Amino acid sequence: MSPSSPRASQPVVAPVVPLALTWFLPGAGHFYMGRFRTGLIAFVVVEGLYALGLLLSGGMFLEYLPPEMQGAFAAVLSPEVGNLGALLFHVNHFGYGPGQPRVWPDTMDIGTTLTAASGVLNLFVMARAHLDARAPERDQERALDPPTAALATWLVPGLGQFLQGRKLRGLLVFVSLTGLFLIGCWLAAGSNLDRERHFYYWAGQSLLGSPAILAEFVHGHPRVTGEVPYADGGVVLACVAGMLNVLMMLDAFAWSEERQLGKPPKAATEPAPESVPEPGLASTSPEPEGAEA
Amino acid sequence: MNDLPFHLLLFAVAGTVIVVISAFFSEPEDSAALRAIPRRLFWFFVGCAGVAAVMLVCEHTFARVGSV
Repeated sequence: MSPSSPRASQPVVAPVVPLALTWFLPGAGHFYMGRFRTGLIAFVVVEGLYALGLLLSGGMFLEYLPPEMQGAFAAVLSPEVGNLGALLFHVNHFGYGPGQPRVWPDTMDIGTTLTAASGVLNLFVMARAHLDARAPERDQERALDPPTAALATWLVPGLGQFLQGRKLRGLLVFVSLTGLFLIGCWLAAGSNLDRERHFYYWAGQSLLGSPAILAEFVHGHPRVTGEVPYADGGVVLACVAGMLNVLMMLDAFAWSEERQLGKPPKAATEPAPESVPEPGLASTSPEPEGAEA
Repeated sequence: MNDLPFHLLLFAVAGTVIVVISAFFSEPEDSAALRAIPRRLFWFFVGCAGVAAVMLVCEHTFARVGSV
Protein backbone atom coordinates (compact mmCIF):
# COMPACT_ATOMS: atom_id res chain seq x y z
CA MET A 1 0.00 0.00 0.00
CA SER A 2 1.60 3.22 -1.11
CA PRO A 3 1.50 6.08 1.36
CA SER A 4 2.17 8.67 -1.36
CA SER A 5 -1.43 9.49 -2.12
CA PRO A 6 -4.12 8.94 0.46
CA ARG A 7 -6.80 8.81 -2.21
CA ALA A 8 -5.00 6.40 -4.44
CA SER A 9 -4.60 4.01 -1.52
CA GLN A 10 -8.31 3.80 -0.91
CA PRO A 11 -10.11 0.58 -1.72
CA VAL A 12 -12.69 0.58 -4.44
CA VAL A 13 -16.01 -0.03 -2.74
CA ALA A 14 -19.61 -0.16 -3.80
CA PRO A 15 -21.00 3.27 -2.87
CA VAL A 16 -24.04 1.76 -1.22
CA VAL A 17 -21.86 0.20 1.50
CA PRO A 18 -20.47 3.43 3.01
CA LEU A 19 -23.89 5.00 2.46
CA ALA A 20 -25.63 2.33 4.54
CA LEU A 21 -22.88 2.28 7.16
CA THR A 22 -23.13 6.04 7.58
CA TRP A 23 -26.90 5.83 7.90
CA PHE A 24 -26.54 3.48 10.86
CA LEU A 25 -23.48 5.13 12.39
CA PRO A 26 -22.31 8.60 11.27
CA GLY A 27 -18.72 8.45 10.08
CA ALA A 28 -18.65 4.67 9.74
CA GLY A 29 -18.73 4.87 5.95
CA HIS A 30 -15.67 7.09 5.90
CA PHE A 31 -13.86 4.81 8.37
CA TYR A 32 -14.67 1.94 6.02
CA MET A 33 -13.03 3.84 3.15
CA GLY A 34 -9.98 4.73 5.23
CA ARG A 35 -10.88 8.39 5.67
CA PHE A 36 -10.49 8.40 9.41
CA ARG A 37 -10.35 12.16 9.99
CA THR A 38 -13.58 12.84 8.07
CA GLY A 39 -15.25 9.89 9.76
CA LEU A 40 -14.22 11.03 13.22
CA ILE A 41 -15.41 14.61 12.64
CA ALA A 42 -18.74 13.37 11.25
CA PHE A 43 -19.22 11.01 14.19
CA VAL A 44 -18.43 13.61 16.83
CA VAL A 45 -20.57 16.37 15.30
CA VAL A 46 -23.64 14.32 14.32
CA GLU A 47 -23.75 12.06 17.36
CA GLY A 48 -22.77 14.94 19.62
CA LEU A 49 -25.77 16.92 18.37
CA TYR A 50 -28.05 13.96 18.96
CA ALA A 51 -26.66 13.27 22.42
CA LEU A 52 -27.03 16.91 23.43
CA GLY A 53 -30.57 16.98 22.08
CA LEU A 54 -31.37 13.77 23.94
CA LEU A 55 -30.02 15.27 27.15
CA LEU A 56 -31.99 18.51 26.79
CA SER A 57 -35.27 16.85 25.80
CA GLY A 58 -35.03 13.95 28.23
CA GLY A 59 -35.52 11.58 25.31
CA MET A 60 -39.21 12.54 25.22
CA PHE A 61 -39.78 13.73 21.66
CA LEU A 62 -41.78 10.64 20.66
CA GLU A 63 -44.17 11.40 23.52
CA TYR A 64 -45.36 14.34 21.42
CA LEU A 65 -47.35 11.80 19.42
CA PRO A 66 -50.87 11.10 20.65
CA PRO A 67 -51.45 7.51 21.85
CA GLU A 68 -53.33 6.49 18.73
CA MET A 69 -50.33 7.40 16.57
CA GLN A 70 -47.65 5.68 18.64
CA GLY A 71 -47.16 2.77 16.26
CA ALA A 72 -44.07 0.72 15.52
CA PHE A 73 -43.08 2.91 12.56
CA ALA A 74 -44.32 6.29 13.81
CA ALA A 75 -40.77 7.66 14.02
CA VAL A 76 -39.95 6.83 10.42
CA LEU A 77 -41.21 10.17 9.11
CA SER A 78 -39.32 12.23 11.68
CA PRO A 79 -36.10 14.01 10.64
CA GLU A 80 -34.22 11.89 13.19
CA VAL A 81 -34.52 8.93 10.82
CA GLY A 82 -31.52 10.36 8.96
CA ASN A 83 -29.44 9.18 11.92
CA LEU A 84 -30.95 5.71 12.04
CA GLY A 85 -28.68 4.17 14.65
CA ALA A 86 -29.34 6.95 17.13
CA LEU A 87 -33.08 6.81 16.45
CA LEU A 88 -33.16 3.04 17.04
CA PHE A 89 -31.27 3.54 20.28
CA HIS A 90 -33.73 6.29 21.20
CA VAL A 91 -36.77 4.14 20.47
CA ASN A 92 -35.33 1.19 22.39
CA HIS A 93 -34.33 3.15 25.47
CA PHE A 94 -37.00 5.85 25.70
CA GLY A 95 -39.81 4.80 23.37
CA TYR A 96 -43.11 6.53 24.01
CA GLY A 97 -42.53 7.07 27.70
CA PRO A 98 -44.41 5.60 30.66
CA GLY A 99 -47.79 5.82 28.93
CA GLN A 100 -49.09 8.87 30.73
CA PRO A 101 -48.55 12.59 30.04
CA ARG A 102 -45.50 14.14 31.64
CA VAL A 103 -44.26 17.71 32.01
CA TRP A 104 -41.76 18.61 29.29
CA PRO A 105 -38.35 19.83 30.36
CA ASP A 106 -37.75 23.57 29.94
CA THR A 107 -35.24 22.79 27.19
CA MET A 108 -37.56 20.41 25.33
CA ASP A 109 -37.85 22.53 22.17
CA ILE A 110 -34.15 23.13 21.70
CA GLY A 111 -33.49 19.47 22.52
CA THR A 112 -35.86 18.09 19.90
CA THR A 113 -34.56 20.62 17.37
CA LEU A 114 -31.04 19.35 17.93
CA THR A 115 -32.00 15.69 17.49
CA ALA A 116 -33.84 16.61 14.30
CA ALA A 117 -30.84 18.63 13.07
CA SER A 118 -28.62 15.63 13.75
CA GLY A 119 -30.78 13.48 11.48
CA VAL A 120 -30.78 16.03 8.67
CA LEU A 121 -27.05 16.63 9.03
CA ASN A 122 -26.32 12.94 8.69
CA LEU A 123 -28.08 12.94 5.31
CA PHE A 124 -25.33 15.23 4.03
CA VAL A 125 -22.67 13.00 5.58
CA MET A 126 -24.29 10.05 3.80
CA ALA A 127 -24.25 11.95 0.52
CA ARG A 128 -20.59 12.76 1.07
CA ALA A 129 -19.75 9.12 1.80
CA HIS A 130 -21.55 7.97 -1.34
CA LEU A 131 -19.81 10.62 -3.45
CA ASP A 132 -16.38 9.82 -1.99
CA ALA A 133 -16.91 6.15 -2.86
CA ARG A 134 -18.16 6.92 -6.37
CA ALA A 135 -15.62 9.57 -7.27
CA PRO A 136 -12.66 9.74 -4.91
CA GLU A 137 -10.63 11.57 -7.55
CA ARG A 138 -12.63 14.67 -8.35
CA ASP A 139 -11.53 18.20 -9.08
CA GLN A 140 -12.48 20.00 -5.88
CA GLU A 141 -11.12 23.31 -7.18
CA ARG A 142 -13.83 23.64 -9.81
CA ALA A 143 -16.80 24.06 -7.51
CA LEU A 144 -17.99 24.07 -3.95
CA ASP A 145 -18.11 20.57 -2.49
CA PRO A 146 -21.55 19.11 -3.43
CA PRO A 147 -22.65 18.06 0.08
CA THR A 148 -21.45 21.41 1.43
CA ALA A 149 -23.50 23.25 -1.20
CA ALA A 150 -26.58 21.21 -0.30
CA LEU A 151 -25.98 21.78 3.40
CA ALA A 152 -25.70 25.52 2.82
CA THR A 153 -29.03 25.43 0.99
CA TRP A 154 -30.60 23.64 3.94
CA LEU A 155 -29.18 26.16 6.40
CA VAL A 156 -30.40 29.14 4.37
CA PRO A 157 -32.54 28.51 1.27
CA GLY A 158 -30.58 29.70 -1.76
CA LEU A 159 -27.26 30.04 0.08
CA GLY A 160 -25.73 27.05 -1.70
CA GLN A 161 -26.62 28.53 -5.09
CA PHE A 162 -25.32 31.93 -3.96
CA LEU A 163 -21.98 30.45 -2.91
CA GLN A 164 -21.78 28.65 -6.26
CA GLY A 165 -21.94 32.04 -7.97
CA ARG A 166 -25.56 31.69 -9.07
CA LYS A 167 -26.59 34.75 -7.13
CA LEU A 168 -29.85 35.56 -8.91
CA ARG A 169 -31.04 31.99 -8.46
CA GLY A 170 -30.05 32.00 -4.80
CA LEU A 171 -31.86 35.26 -4.18
CA LEU A 172 -35.05 34.12 -5.93
CA VAL A 173 -35.02 30.81 -4.09
CA PHE A 174 -34.61 32.56 -0.75
CA VAL A 175 -37.39 35.08 -1.43
CA SER A 176 -39.78 32.44 -2.83
CA LEU A 177 -39.38 29.81 -0.14
CA THR A 178 -39.01 32.10 2.86
CA GLY A 179 -41.94 34.17 1.60
CA LEU A 180 -44.15 31.10 1.23
CA PHE A 181 -43.12 29.94 4.70
CA LEU A 182 -43.91 33.33 6.25
CA ILE A 183 -47.31 33.42 4.55
CA GLY A 184 -47.97 30.00 6.08
CA CYS A 185 -46.93 31.26 9.53
CA TRP A 186 -49.18 34.29 9.12
CA LEU A 187 -52.18 32.20 8.08
CA ALA A 188 -51.68 29.78 10.97
CA ALA A 189 -50.96 32.61 13.42
CA GLY A 190 -47.71 30.86 14.32
CA SER A 191 -49.49 27.68 15.43
CA ASN A 192 -47.51 25.74 12.82
CA LEU A 193 -44.29 26.53 14.72
CA ASP A 194 -44.77 23.81 17.28
CA ARG A 195 -43.60 20.22 17.00
CA GLU A 196 -45.97 19.04 19.69
CA ARG A 197 -48.99 20.37 17.79
CA HIS A 198 -47.95 19.34 14.26
CA PHE A 199 -45.44 16.51 14.62
CA TYR A 200 -45.18 15.50 10.94
CA TYR A 201 -45.82 18.90 9.31
CA TRP A 202 -43.09 20.25 11.57
CA ALA A 203 -40.76 17.67 10.03
CA GLY A 204 -41.55 19.00 6.56
CA GLN A 205 -41.05 22.63 7.44
CA SER A 206 -37.82 21.85 9.32
CA LEU A 207 -36.32 21.15 5.89
CA LEU A 208 -36.37 24.91 5.34
CA GLY A 209 -33.52 25.24 7.84
CA SER A 210 -32.76 28.42 9.71
CA PRO A 211 -35.89 30.43 8.73
CA ALA A 212 -38.07 27.72 10.28
CA ILE A 213 -35.85 27.25 13.31
CA LEU A 214 -35.44 30.96 13.97
CA ALA A 215 -39.15 31.66 13.47
CA GLU A 216 -39.98 28.92 15.96
CA PHE A 217 -37.73 30.30 18.65
CA VAL A 218 -38.87 33.88 18.07
CA HIS A 219 -42.58 33.39 17.52
CA GLY A 220 -43.31 29.69 18.04
CA HIS A 221 -45.47 27.83 20.54
CA PRO A 222 -48.13 30.55 20.81
CA ARG A 223 -51.08 30.01 23.08
CA VAL A 224 -54.06 29.56 20.76
CA THR A 225 -57.12 31.00 22.46
CA GLY A 226 -59.56 31.19 19.58
CA GLU A 227 -60.29 29.82 16.16
CA VAL A 228 -57.57 30.37 13.56
CA PRO A 229 -59.57 30.32 10.31
CA TYR A 230 -56.70 29.35 8.00
CA ALA A 231 -54.61 27.27 10.41
CA ASP A 232 -54.67 24.18 8.21
CA GLY A 233 -53.78 26.11 5.07
CA GLY A 234 -50.93 27.84 6.87
CA VAL A 235 -49.48 24.56 8.13
CA VAL A 236 -49.61 23.08 4.64
CA LEU A 237 -47.95 26.08 2.98
CA ALA A 238 -45.12 26.14 5.53
CA CYS A 239 -44.57 22.41 5.03
CA VAL A 240 -44.61 22.79 1.24
CA ALA A 241 -41.93 25.50 1.51
CA GLY A 242 -39.68 23.11 3.42
CA MET A 243 -40.22 20.26 1.00
CA LEU A 244 -39.55 22.48 -2.03
CA ASN A 245 -36.22 23.32 -0.43
CA VAL A 246 -35.26 19.67 -0.88
CA LEU A 247 -35.40 20.28 -4.65
CA MET A 248 -33.03 23.21 -4.23
CA MET A 249 -30.65 21.12 -2.11
CA LEU A 250 -30.58 18.56 -4.94
CA ASP A 251 -30.03 21.37 -7.45
CA ALA A 252 -27.06 22.70 -5.48
CA PHE A 253 -25.59 19.21 -5.09
CA ALA A 254 -25.98 18.28 -8.75
CA TRP A 255 -24.54 21.57 -10.03
CA SER A 256 -21.34 21.16 -7.99
CA GLU A 257 -21.11 17.46 -8.73
CA GLU A 258 -21.29 17.99 -12.47
CA ARG A 259 -18.49 20.51 -12.34
CA GLN A 260 -16.27 18.52 -10.02
CA LEU A 261 -16.67 15.38 -12.11
CA GLY A 262 -16.15 17.28 -15.37
CA LYS A 263 -19.53 16.29 -16.80
CA PRO A 264 -21.37 18.62 -19.13
CA PRO A 265 -24.37 20.18 -17.38
CA LYS A 266 -27.63 18.41 -18.00
CA ALA A 267 -29.90 20.04 -20.56
CA ALA A 268 -33.50 19.46 -19.61
CA THR A 269 -34.84 20.71 -22.92
CA GLU A 270 -33.07 18.22 -25.13
CA PRO A 271 -33.66 14.47 -25.15
CA ALA A 272 -31.36 12.35 -23.06
CA PRO A 273 -28.49 11.02 -25.18
CA GLU A 274 -27.96 7.28 -25.46
CA SER A 275 -24.80 7.05 -23.35
CA VAL A 276 -21.83 8.41 -25.29
CA PRO A 277 -18.84 7.88 -23.00
CA GLU A 278 -16.22 8.60 -25.64
CA PRO A 279 -15.37 12.25 -26.19
CA GLY A 280 -15.20 11.84 -29.94
CA LEU A 281 -18.76 12.88 -30.65
CA ALA A 282 -19.43 16.56 -30.23
CA SER A 283 -22.04 17.55 -27.73
CA THR A 284 -24.46 20.45 -28.09
CA SER A 285 -23.67 21.37 -24.52
CA PRO A 286 -21.89 24.70 -24.01
CA GLU A 287 -19.46 23.01 -21.59
CA PRO A 288 -16.26 22.02 -23.45
CA GLU A 289 -15.68 18.29 -23.69
CA GLY A 290 -11.99 18.63 -22.92
CA ALA A 291 -12.68 20.10 -19.53
CA GLU A 292 -12.16 16.86 -17.66
CA ALA A 293 -9.74 16.98 -14.83
CA MET B 1 -68.37 33.61 4.42
CA ASN B 2 -67.23 33.92 0.83
CA ASP B 3 -63.46 33.40 0.81
CA LEU B 4 -63.11 32.44 -2.85
CA PRO B 5 -60.98 35.45 -3.92
CA PHE B 6 -58.65 34.93 -0.95
CA HIS B 7 -58.38 31.22 -1.67
CA LEU B 8 -57.58 31.94 -5.31
CA LEU B 9 -54.93 34.45 -4.28
CA LEU B 10 -53.31 31.94 -1.94
CA PHE B 11 -53.42 29.29 -4.64
CA ALA B 12 -51.81 31.70 -7.12
CA VAL B 13 -48.99 32.52 -4.70
CA ALA B 14 -48.32 28.88 -3.76
CA GLY B 15 -48.58 27.78 -7.40
CA THR B 16 -46.14 30.45 -8.53
CA VAL B 17 -43.56 29.39 -5.93
CA ILE B 18 -43.96 25.74 -6.92
CA VAL B 19 -43.49 26.58 -10.61
CA VAL B 20 -40.47 28.82 -9.98
CA ILE B 21 -38.72 26.19 -7.85
CA SER B 22 -39.52 23.39 -10.30
CA ALA B 23 -38.16 25.51 -13.16
CA PHE B 24 -34.92 26.08 -11.25
CA PHE B 25 -34.73 22.38 -10.46
CA SER B 26 -35.21 21.38 -14.09
CA GLU B 27 -32.95 23.98 -15.71
CA PRO B 28 -29.40 24.32 -14.40
CA GLU B 29 -28.86 27.64 -16.16
CA ASP B 30 -30.61 30.70 -14.76
CA SER B 31 -31.53 32.28 -18.08
CA ALA B 32 -33.15 29.10 -19.39
CA ALA B 33 -35.03 28.65 -16.12
CA LEU B 34 -36.33 32.21 -16.12
CA ARG B 35 -37.38 31.93 -19.77
CA ALA B 36 -39.31 28.74 -19.02
CA ILE B 37 -41.29 30.16 -16.10
CA PRO B 38 -44.14 31.87 -18.06
CA ARG B 39 -44.81 28.76 -20.14
CA ARG B 40 -44.67 26.53 -17.06
CA LEU B 41 -46.99 28.88 -15.16
CA PHE B 42 -49.49 28.81 -18.01
CA TRP B 43 -49.61 25.02 -18.21
CA PHE B 44 -49.62 24.63 -14.43
CA PHE B 45 -52.68 26.82 -14.03
CA VAL B 46 -54.41 25.39 -17.12
CA GLY B 47 -53.84 21.89 -15.74
CA CYS B 48 -55.12 22.88 -12.30
CA ALA B 49 -58.19 24.51 -13.85
CA GLY B 50 -58.86 21.29 -15.76
CA VAL B 51 -58.60 19.21 -12.60
CA ALA B 52 -60.90 21.65 -10.77
CA ALA B 53 -63.43 21.48 -13.60
CA VAL B 54 -63.47 17.66 -13.54
CA MET B 55 -63.89 17.69 -9.77
CA LEU B 56 -66.78 20.15 -9.97
CA VAL B 57 -68.53 18.06 -12.62
CA CYS B 58 -68.07 14.90 -10.54
CA GLU B 59 -69.31 16.64 -7.42
CA HIS B 60 -72.34 18.06 -9.24
CA THR B 61 -73.13 14.69 -10.79
CA PHE B 62 -72.47 12.24 -7.96
CA ALA B 63 -72.39 14.15 -4.70
CA ARG B 64 -74.92 16.92 -5.05
CA VAL B 65 -76.57 17.69 -1.71
CA GLY B 66 -78.90 20.55 -2.72
CA SER B 67 -82.58 20.02 -3.58
CA VAL B 68 -83.29 19.16 -7.21
